[in-house]
Amino acid sequence: MKRSPAVLVALPLGLLFASLFVGRFQVAPVDVIHILLAQLFPGAHDWPAPVETIVLQIRLPRALMAMCIGAGLSISGAAYQGVFRNPLVSTDILGVTAASGFGAALAILLSRSAFELQLIAFAFGLAGVALTYLLARVYQTTPVLMLVLSGVVVAAFFSALLSGAKYVADPESKLPAITYWLLGSLNGASLRGLATIVPPIVAGSVGLLLVRWRLNLLAMGDEEARSLGVRTEWLKGIVIVCTTLITAAAVSVCGIVGWVGLVIPHVGRMLVGPDHRLLLPATLSIGASYLLFIDDIARSATAGEIPLGILTALVGAPFFGYLLRKTHGTWQ
Amino acid sequence: MLGGADKLVASTDQARKQAWLRKLDPGIERVPAAFNAAGEVNLETLIGARPDVVLMAYGGALPKWLDAVDSYRIPVVMMPNKSLADLETTARMTGEVLGERESRTAAEYVRYFDENIRRVTQVTGLLKKRELVRVLHTASAGILSVDGLDTVIDDWIRVAGGINVADVVGNARPVTLEQVAAWNPDVIIVGTAPNAQNRQAILDDPRWRQIKAVKAGKVYANPSGAYLWDRHSAEAALQVLWAAKLLHPARFADLDMAKETRLFYARFFRHELTDAEFASIMSATAP
Repeated sequence: MKRSPAVLVALPLGLLFASLFVGRFQVAPVDVIHILLAQLFPGAHDWPAPVETIVLQIRLPRALMAMCIGAGLSISGAAYQGVFRNPLVSTDILGVTAASGFGAALAILLSRSAFELQLIAFAFGLAGVALTYLLARVYQTTPVLMLVLSGVVVAAFFSALLSGAKYVADPESKLPAITYWLLGSLNGASLRGLATIVPPIVAGSVGLLLVRWRLNLLAMGDEEARSLGVRTEWLKGIVIVCTTLITAAAVSVCGIVGWVGLVIPHVGRMLVGPDHRLLLPATLSIGASYLLFIDDIARSATAGEIPLGILTALVGAPFFGYLLRKTHGTWQ
Repeated sequence: MLGGADKLVASTDQARKQAWLRKLDPGIERVPAAFNAAGEVNLETLIGARPDVVLMAYGGALPKWLDAVDSYRIPVVMMPNKSLADLETTARMTGEVLGERESRTAAEYVRYFDENIRRVTQVTGLLKKRELVRVLHTASAGILSVDGLDTVIDDWIRVAGGINVADVVGNARPVTLEQVAAWNPDVIIVGTAPNAQNRQAILDDPRWRQIKAVKAGKVYANPSGAYLWDRHSAEAALQVLWAAKLLHPARFADLDMAKETRLFYARFFRHELTDAEFASIMSATAP
């Protein structure tokens, strides 16, 4: 299936624009447009003050964050599925999610601020994957099987620590906070939070985009890729570093959002085929649009906030099932 | 409080960690914690403590250890905690379980509690609808969550002459910041431990700045003593006074929280509060 690249650019941007109009607070569409124009052409203000805060400080950072995280998780998933030559692989395969999750729970136990929580979760995510990588290293190489098994070990270890943190958490205040955090939410999105996750996510995504054609070679197997002159260990290392930066940044700010990193790459393959040169940019766009759309529902469907992790699967699973039936799994 | 502390043979992890409770009843540290923070039981610790009865707060879900405890023929008394009336029932039931003397103390406490509610409602009950203050009570800030309807919190807000703006059901429900802005409360009460620190976090956050309560500087930390005043605690009896004075300072000008708190602690906890201790309760910090 051929799609013009213009659609891939227009879709997330269009959704971003539309998202600024959606929310629980009544904002006249005309005010939204005025506020946006006022950023370009400073002039007289004739809208109520809270409205500007809502649009620029609450909706906009949150929408941008949803896009960054959706894009980051999706491109990471696509790169991992290529490196591990396995369509069932997701971004948490090397234990980053479990490690970040424990870091966040620890931060909640210690009553750290939202910003400190983000940094601690990010650091734990990186440490978790570093542990996996060291564990998997045999004779200067990291065979895929060793990586996956080490990832299982590290994830199990941090999951146990996470359960331990929940076990000692105060059930009145700390336990619900940990539970909701783990279900995933962009509730805490702010400009400052955005500023801290954009550099790692952009750096990781650019890194992956730069090596994307080599991923095609790696997908044929380590031996074959080596015989074609690819330094496979280097390449694997680069992919792992990039995806870990992205995933740890994503998890640190929004908790565990499953399903995106697993499924969006498949949707991408259905649309543009398995060539990583096209697939990676496509997953960026689809992932950004998908999570943005889901988060719009999460924050505006009910008075309470619906956890993201619930919606990504609740909306995504039937959609993926539909695609699966329609294509009979022939895009692989 | 009811005078049955020496009859307590097993407790919870959480109770032992409550700094003020440890101060008021140092013996709590020697009582084994048969229940962990998640509300699960260590059966051997529990049976080893030979309790005649197990008291528990019932929030709508039966714990999975119930059958096991039942099979040892230890009766379990479940007590409600969704409203102020529920808290009075809890005190009364606890008194009945403990004995005659404790029952009398419980009855005295309930009379005191009722008197406080009456003292507040005889003023707030006359308020016109537009005079009621719109209140938001936060439960946790890391993931912003608030306390909604059908809770003790909703009840004392109503008694104190306020309206709980959070029209979601239950304790600690997650909400978006935009929803908070849409509710636009007049007053925000921070019940997120550590309360004072989280209150400051709200005041410092530019995204909260346009909310009425923040603009007017009406963001307050909830007091916390032997237990969290705002939740199912004995001090809920003081919470109604505190909240009423907070929401309607002019109408409760003669209400002296320091005096009331001192009287309460002396009468029911047999503890003479110092000024520093009173300040620590008000700012929800450890003594």
